Amino acid sequence: MKKVVVSAKGLKKTYKMSKKNIVQALKGVDIEVCEGDFSAIVGPSGCGKSTLMHILGLLDKPDSGTLEIDGVDMTRLPDKKAYKIRAKKIGFIFQGFNLIPTLTALENVILAGRYGGLKATKRKARAKTLLELLGLKDRLGHKPNELSGGQQQRVAIARSLMNDPAIILADEPTGELDSKTSLEIMEILKKLNREDNKTFLIVTHNMDVAESCKKIIRLKDGKND
Amino acid sequence: MEIIRNMWRRKFRTFLTIFGIIIGIFAFTVMGSMALKLNKMIAGGKQYITGQITISPKGTDYTSGTTGMLPVDLLNKIKAVEGVEAVEGGVGLMLDEPDPDNPTTVSFSAPKSIYSFDPDSNFKNKNWETMAMKEGKLIDTNSAENDISIGINIALDKKWAVGDEVEIRGRKFKVVGIFDKTMTGPDEYVFMNIKPARELFVENNPFLKSLKEKSDNAQKISDRELANLPLEARQQIIEAQAFKIEDVSTSASVSWKDGVDPETVVESIKANYKDQVTVLSPKKMGEEIDKASSTMNAIIFGSAILALVVGLFSIVNTMIMSISERTREIGIKKAIGASSRSIAIEYTIEAGVIGLLGGAFGMGLGMLTAYLINQKMASKGAEIFLIDGTFMIEVVIFSFVIGIIAGIIPALRASKLKVVDAIREL
Repeated sequence: MKKVVVSAKGLKKTYKMSKKNIVQALKGVDIEVCEGDFSAIVGPSGCGKSTLMHILGLLDKPDSGTLEIDGVDMTRLPDKKAYKIRAKKIGFIFQGFNLIPTLTALENVILAGRYGGLKATKRKARAKTLLELLGLKDRLGHKPNELSGGQQQRVAIARSLMNDPAIILADEPTGELDSKTSLEIMEILKKLNREDNKTFLIVTHNMDVAESCKKIIRLKDGKND
Repeated sequence: MEIIRNMWRRKFRTFLTIFGIIIGIFAFTVMGSMALKLNKMIAGGKQYITGQITISPKGTDYTSGTTGMLPVDLLNKIKAVEGVEAVEGGVGLMLDEPDPDNPTTVSFSAPKSIYSFDPDSNFKNKNWETMAMKEGKLIDTNSAENDISIGINIALDKKWAVGDEVEIRGRKFKVVGIFDKTMTGPDEYVFMNIKPARELFVENNPFLKSLKEKSDNAQKISDRELANLPLEARQQIIEAQAFKIEDVSTSASVSWKDGVDPETVVESIKANYKDQVTVLSPKKMGEEIDKASSTMNAIIFGSAILALVVGLFSIVNTMIMSISERTREIGIKKAIGASSRSIAIEYTIEAGVIGLLGGAFGMGLGMLTAYLINQKMASKGAEIFLIDGTFMIEVVIFSFVIGIIAGIIPALRASKLKVVDAIREL
């Protein structure tokens, strides 16, 4: 049996936008991700995909329900410790790449290593290896605004891999890319899953992307569909 | 590195903020150096004045410049007061004739004056027994009557050197020594024998001058001639003869015997001669000086700190703006594992660096200004700033700390940003 990396049961989350405008983003969602999974979360906009992603990534807390990452109960984790789990166990890939604009490609990747507690001497070597692996050997010293969208997303992928996390959460990773580059990026992710057994959970509303995943989790109106 | 790059992102804004700090620190450095110089002068004066009991004739008014005289008989009586070790009468007067076209010269240093030294007295100031010499020697009991030792600023201003024959108020003197720079009163003093000092004093006081002339004339009258004069005239002449130049003292310095409390001596002198003299107690004078200098320091540092508070708020403002601009980045950093603490530290240091840069440039500029003004004034021996290395370092550290303090609130705001809220701005 495969090792369970993420296990969430009955996740509920309500946002109070104002006194009268209360949004029930999650109404009890169950989700399980095993080691080596390559799953997609799909659903129409407003179905709670992003909220679920934030909760799974410890960026937000559920109102109720349980969440375990790598066998550790996260619901009782104090905020002060969440950053360590985020740094070591979770990798993020965002839609808008979200690199730090003042840092070079290499420095962006190194930064994640710093937060993850990697030794200063090891950080640079590992960041270099990852970027080279992703075909960015000639772009190490470039700042994000000197890179194409696809290149920026590859830097973000390298960054998410830096601390060898238990799971990589990708929020619309191809959302801002043209179809050709989207395919390239998806190929990279699949290759990492295939060859290195990396676990991915990809939020998308692009069905082409979703269908290229091994498993699809459907959400509708804040619940499993 | 990242901090510098972040600051560089908004070059103009960062420059303006740093410029604000530069102005504040510049003002602080310049005023602080001025305060240091004043304090040093005051401290020197305090050391001197608390090392002796100073006696002036009743009625002396320092503000109008009115001086009285202390008869030598009275000084001899004070010498007999219990606890008194020695009494030295002295005269003090301005080195130069006041310029009627330019009567008031505001100066940061003591006015150039003549101080008398009595070779026959064994008086010694308790805190100021001798002067360090730059060149030559301090006049002593073996010196010739017209030998003088002078302060460094007098030497610079008048271009007098050791061995020079110089003229003071129409009389010739010989410079035998120049004191080391004290940064205080003695830099502006000419030390001379009491005898010529008294003569100069009398020479420059029309009333005393006429008295002395009468006395000199009276001295010429022989006893035999005197005996033949009518009683009234005889009495007048005898009175005139009684005027002795030794009687002219404008103030006296009293030292106390070892182991005696000077305040008891002050009280004893007061008890007996309150009607004739004003006695300045070393302790009270010290307190008065402290009071005056602390008020002055408060004014100087108060205005400098005002300038700094403005700088502080400008850092706070800049940091808050740059944090709101970078909300997204803070979100990303937190998402990939930055702790709130590391975010707070990052922004606090950025504010500290702004403070440090502003402080370093402001201090440099301030010191350069102080140095240049001092250079210009040095030829006249009227430096108004004290350039002090420790103070320079303290100013820069202070500015860095101001930056850190200014950065704390914005940095805490940044660190408390909720990742989800920050990410939503994506």
